[in-house]
Amino acid sequence: MTIHSGGGARILIIDDEPQIRKLLKVTLQAHRFDIHEAEAGEAGIYQASIVHPDLIVLDLGLPDMSGMDVLRRIREWSSVPIIVLTAKEREEDKIAALDGGADDYVTKPFGMGELLARIRVALRHVASSVQEPVLRFGPLVIDLAQRLVELDGSRVKLTPTEYDLLKTLATNAGKVMTQRQLLQQVWGGHHYESDSHYLRIYIGHLRKKLEEDPTRPRFIETEPGIGYRFLSQD
Amino acid sequence: MRDFRLHAGSWVPYALITLIITLLTYLLIQFGLGYDRVNIVLLYLFPVLFSAVYWGIRPSFYAAAVSVLAFDFFFIPPVLSFSVDDFRYLFSFFVYMAVAALTATLAARLKQQLLLAKQSEQHTNSLYALSRQMTAISDLRTLLDNVCRQVSETLDAEIAIYMPDRTDELALIAYSQTAESWGRGESEIAIAKWVYRQGQIAGKGSGMLRDFPGLYVPLKTEERIYGVLAVKPIETGLEIKGSFTAENRRLLEAFGGLTATAIARVKLSEEAKLAHLMAESERIRTALLDSVSHELRTPLATVIGSATGLIEGERIFSSEDRLELLATIRDGALRMNRLVTNLLGMVKLESGMLQLRKRWCDIEDMLGVVLAQVKEYQQHRRIRIGLSERVPFFEGDDVLLEQVLVNVVSNAIKYSSDYSEIEIAVNEFEGSVVITVTDAGIGIAESESELIFDKFYRGSRTGHLPGTGLGLAICKGIVEAHGGTISAEPAAGKGTRIRIALPAGDRRHGIERLSDTEEEVT
Repeated sequence: MTIHSGGGARILIIDDEPQIRKLLKVTLQAHRFDIHEAEAGEAGIYQASIVHPDLIVLDLGLPDMSGMDVLRRIREWSSVPIIVLTAKEREEDKIAALDGGADDYVTKPFGMGELLARIRVALRHVASSVQEPVLRFGPLVIDLAQRLVELDGSRVKLTPTEYDLLKTLATNAGKVMTQRQLLQQVWGGHHYESDSHYLRIYIGHLRKKLEEDPTRPRFIETEPGIGYRFLSQD
Repeated sequence: MRDFRLHAGSWVPYALITLIITLLTYLLIQFGLGYDRVNIVLLYLFPVLFSAVYWGIRPSFYAAAVSVLAFDFFFIPPVLSFSVDDFRYLFSFFVYMAVAALTATLAARLKQQLLLAKQSEQHTNSLYALSRQMTAISDLRTLLDNVCRQVSETLDAEIAIYMPDRTDELALIAYSQTAESWGRGESEIAIAKWVYRQGQIAGKGSGMLRDFPGLYVPLKTEERIYGVLAVKPIETGLEIKGSFTAENRRLLEAFGGLTATAIARVKLSEEAKLAHLMAESERIRTALLDSVSHELRTPLATVIGSATGLIEGERIFSSEDRLELLATIRDGALRMNRLVTNLLGMVKLESGMLQLRKRWCDIEDMLGVVLAQVKEYQQHRRIRIGLSERVPFFEGDDVLLEQVLVNVVSNAIKYSSDYSEIEIAVNEFEGSVVITVTDAGIGIAESESELIFDKFYRGSRTGHLPGTGLGLAICKGIVEAHGGTISAEPAAGKGTRIRIALPAGDRRHGIERLSDTEEEVT
C-alpha cells in the first residue's frame, strides 16, 4: 500500500476548528480519501449514521458535547475505526478514549505522515479480519498456528507469557495498545494500574530477546504514559 | 479556706516566738545564769534579731515585748512578779527596747533589700532572656507566644496580647495558657482598645481605670503602637501574687518596649522580604516578556515570510527552493511548539498543578522513548548508552521524566557540534538511579553550574543559539518533585555533564525475582 492510495475510503472528520478541518480535507483528499465533515458532536453522530464512513477522525474537545460522549454514542451501534485528536498534556484523556473504544490517537500538533500512518493501519485492520496464520515483520516471523517465533531465521525461545504478549502486540501491529488492554488480553481478569510493572518486565524481556539494542527498539515502541505499539515495518 | 490560711499564716510566727522565748527562759533558769542579769538581757536580744530576719518588723517587736516581760517576771526582783523593786531596771528595759527596736528595724530592712535585689536580678534576667530570644525569632506567632510565656513566668500572671487585624480591629492574638477566658471578655477588649488608641498604660495600679483587675501596657515604639499587652495577677494562696508594685510596673513597661521593638523588627523584615519578592517577580516578568517575544517572533517571522513568499511568488521557485521554504515553515512551527510546551510546563510547575502519576519505570524503556524523540535533531551526533545491568525499576512519572531527559539530551545536542559524541550513562548509586548525560560541546563555567537551572537564565557561552532558559528550570522542578536532584558540571576535557539522581524506592527486589519464574517453552 503506498501513501497515495486512499482507495476512495470514506472518512468523517468531526472537529470544531475550521482550520483543522480544512487542513485535513485538503491533504486527505489529495491522498484520495472521500471526506465528510461535521463541526460538532451531535452533527457528527448524525453524519456517522447516514454517511457510513470507513473511518472517523474525532477531536476530543468539541463545543456542544465531550468527544468521549460522541465516541460512546457511536460505539453503541458501530465498530467503525475511530482515531481521536487530543492535546499533548492529556494522557488520561487518551487512555480513556482508547479504553473506551477508540482505535488510535494523534496528538496535536501532528505531522501529516503520522496521521496518514494511523489511518492506514486502522483501515487495514478492518480489511484483514481473517487472521493470517503466519505474521512477518521483516526479519521477525511469528507462526501463530505452531506458536513459533523466528528472528533472522533462527528460533527465539519465549515463555508462555512473553509469547502471548508478543502475539497480542503483533496481531494489532501499528495500533497502539494501552497497558490495560494488554494486561486484560494477556493476563486476563481484572487488573489495576499498579500491575503495570508486570507489563514493563515482560516488555523488557521481549526486547532483550528480539531487539539488537533495546534502547533503540525496532519492533516494540513505547507510547509514553499510554502503552505500547508494535511497529509494522512499512 | 483562704481566710483560715490567712489567719494561720499570721499567728504562726508569734506562736513560734513565744515558744522560743519560753524555751530560752527555761534554759536560763535551769543553767543558773539567773543572777548575771546583763548577760541575760543580751541573750534575750537573740529572739528579736531572729524574728526580724525571718518574719519582719512586727513579729520582732512582739518578740521584744515578750522578752522584756519574761525578763521582768523571772529575773528581776521580786522574782515571779511583774513588779519592779529597783526603778533603775525600768531604765534597763527602756534601753533594751531601744536596742531591740533598732536592730530589728535594721535587720528587717536588710532582709527587704535582699529580697528586692533578688527580685530585680530575676527581672533583669528575664528581660535579658526575652531580649535574647527575640533577636533570634523571625516569626511573629512564635515571638508573641514566647513573650506570653516569659512574662507570665516572671510575674506569675495571666497574659494576653492584642494586636490589630487586617481591618485594623484590635483582636486577641496570643495569651498565656490560663488566660484564654479572661482575655476574651468584652471589658478587657474595650480597655485594650482604649490603651491602643491612647498609647497610655491603664488598669490596676496605674492612674487610669484602676478598678479593673488587669494592667494594660501599650506595645509602643517611637513611631507607632503595635498592640497591647494585658496582665492579670493569678490569685492563689494567702496573698495576691505578683501584685503591681512600682517595680513590676516598670518591668512591664520594659517588656512592652522590648516586645514592640521585636514586633517592629519582624514586620520590617517581612516587608523587606515582600519587596525583594516583588523585585524578583518584576525581573522574571521582564525576562519572560523579552524571551517570549523574541522566541515567538523569530520563528513567526520565518513562517510568515516563507509562506507569503510561496503564495505570492508561486512560479518563480524551483521545486527544491519550495521544499526548503516549506522545511523552514515546519522548523519555525516546531520551535514555537517547543516554546509553548515549555511555557505551559513552567506554568504548571509554578502554579502547583503538577501532579505526579507515579508508576514503575524501566529506564531502558524510557531511554528508548527519549532517543526516538531526539532522533530528528540529532543529525550525525553519536549517542552512546551505558546502561548498567543492575539498574532497578523505580517509581516515578515516566512521562515527565522522559520530558526531563528529552530536554537534557536536546541541550546536549544543541550545544555540541555535529559528529561529536554524547554519552548517557545510568547506574545505581546509594539507593538512587543516577543518570548522567555528557556532551563534548561548548561546556559551562563552574560558576554557572547552579544558575543555569534558574528560570530564564542562559549560560554566557550560549550567545547566538536560540533558547528561553526554561528547559532546565522545568527539569529541576520535575526532578525535585520526585525527591531527586539535578546538577551540572564541566565535563572532563570539554563539554557539560548533567547528573540526575532519582530515589530508587525499595520494592524492586520483589519485582526482579517475580520476573524469572517462567520456563521458556515456545
